[in-house]
Amino acid sequence: MQYLANPTRFLKIANAVLPYVWAITIGLFAIGLYGGLVTSPQDYQQGETVRIMYVHVPAAWMALFVYSVMALASAVAVIFRHPLADVAAKTAAPIGAVFCFLALATGSLWGKPMWGAWWVWDARLTSMFVLMLLYIGYMAIWAAIEDPHRAAMVARVVALVGFINVPIVKFSVDWWNSLHQPASVFRMDGPTIHGSMLWPLLVMGLAYSFLFLALHLVSIRAEVAARKIRQIHIAEIGER
Amino acid sequence: MKLLLALIRRDLALSLRQGGGAGTALGFFLAVVVLLPIGIGPDQALLARIAPGALWISLLLSVLLSADRIFQQDYEDGSLDIMTMGPVPFELVALAKAAAHWLSTSLPLAIAAPLLGFLVNLEPQAILPLAASMVLGSAALSLLAAVGAAVTVGLRRGGLLVSILVLPLYVPVMIFGLSASQPGAAPGLTTASLLILAAITLVSLVVSPLASAAALRSYLK
Amino acid sequence: MDFSANHIGFVLASYAISVLMIGGLIIQVLRRDRKLRAEATRLEAQRKAQHP
Repeated sequence: MQYLANPTRFLKIANAVLPYVWAITIGLFAIGLYGGLVTSPQDYQQGETVRIMYVHVPAAWMALFVYSVMALASAVAVIFRHPLADVAAKTAAPIGAVFCFLALATGSLWGKPMWGAWWVWDARLTSMFVLMLLYIGYMAIWAAIEDPHRAAMVARVVALVGFINVPIVKFSVDWWNSLHQPASVFRMDGPTIHGSMLWPLLVMGLAYSFLFLALHLVSIRAEVAARKIRQIHIAEIGER
Repeated sequence: MKLLLALIRRDLALSLRQGGGAGTALGFFLAVVVLLPIGIGPDQALLARIAPGALWISLLLSVLLSADRIFQQDYEDGSLDIMTMGPVPFELVALAKAAAHWLSTSLPLAIAAPLLGFLVNLEPQAILPLAASMVLGSAALSLLAAVGAAVTVGLRRGGLLVSILVLPLYVPVMIFGLSASQPGAAPGLTTASLLILAAITLVSLVVSPLASAAALRSYLK
Repeated sequence: MDFSANHIGFVLASYAISVLMIGGLIIQVLRRDRKLRAEATRLEAQRKAQHP
């Protein structure tokens, strides 16, 4: 952590690993899509519709994962005051919001043939919706406060409070609506979906994770450049 | 402790005296409650079914609308700057402000709401559980509103932002508040929900002062 | 893949929206990165020229 805190060193490492990350991402997507669209069987109940799972479930996982990354980065920023940690939290948010939106959109597209309605207030869709609101609020804070230093400090609070809120919302929404499918991959007694569907799903999950890593590194690099531009402008104003 | 009580008393006096305080929130609450039957039609059976939810939503909105008052004035006239240097830890100052908001706005609303339930045909046996859950939940509502108010205190147009930030935090409070106020749905449901609601309130009691103080400090620097 | 299956439109739509959103995100992120880094190098060079 301490080692990565230096922006120049971070940029060096990011520039070195990025080509490999992109290559792995493309490879994983190729394998995952091949597995999901070609080799995996139709579901005996859902037919072809089950293939929505390979884009819906990874998007939902990533929406949660990226929020955790944001909260972790914010916690690091609070504890160690690393300037890069704030940048990491800020740049993760739009990426996570896109994943969250995709989870909602594909969930709705999956729900229409399965439940007969575009939107059902099922527990998991509802918590995903609340997560979307948290993303929107977090990004709105960055957009509303001009001074980046102050925005960073306030955004830390928003990210961490939101992160505490996520499991409570999950719990309360489950309570509110106990008519939902049990989460079917990560369970104590092992996965319940068949291997021929499971491996493409997991590969797609990995592909999404690597995609996030690549996008996040590029966004951090861009944000560091943006701050450099800002500093140069301020210095120029100071000299006048 | 004495200083804290003095702080709360000062805020209470301010909010009661300036006319902008508890009265307006109550008026807003009434306006929302009246709009609801107009919006969905005067069907008594339907109203009775949605009454607890309607009252809870009106409560949330009224508390939210008055949220920006919690810190705004003291931020603008510089009192908060002085309080950071005072003998009271700043977290406790934030807690005192939230407590004052609760006593002046949320608590009166929470007590009045079940009594106004007759407007939306609230079932009589739901009044007591609803009152209990609202009194308990309103403390959490004020504490969470304080976080939202602190986070947006230096912004000129913070009002809408407060709603986006705070409403997700209100979701659990409302869910358990509502599940407590539905007697007869399942035995023991009211007690269990009230206990969870109390737990949520306690969590907010810890998180809110820390978060509000941190956010306020970043604006005061 | 069976393109004549029931509800195939929903499957295609989910993949289409995923490709569009993720593709758009990738393009936007890469473009912003390129623009900002070019700007930063340009300003830095300009500054070095002014204050050697």
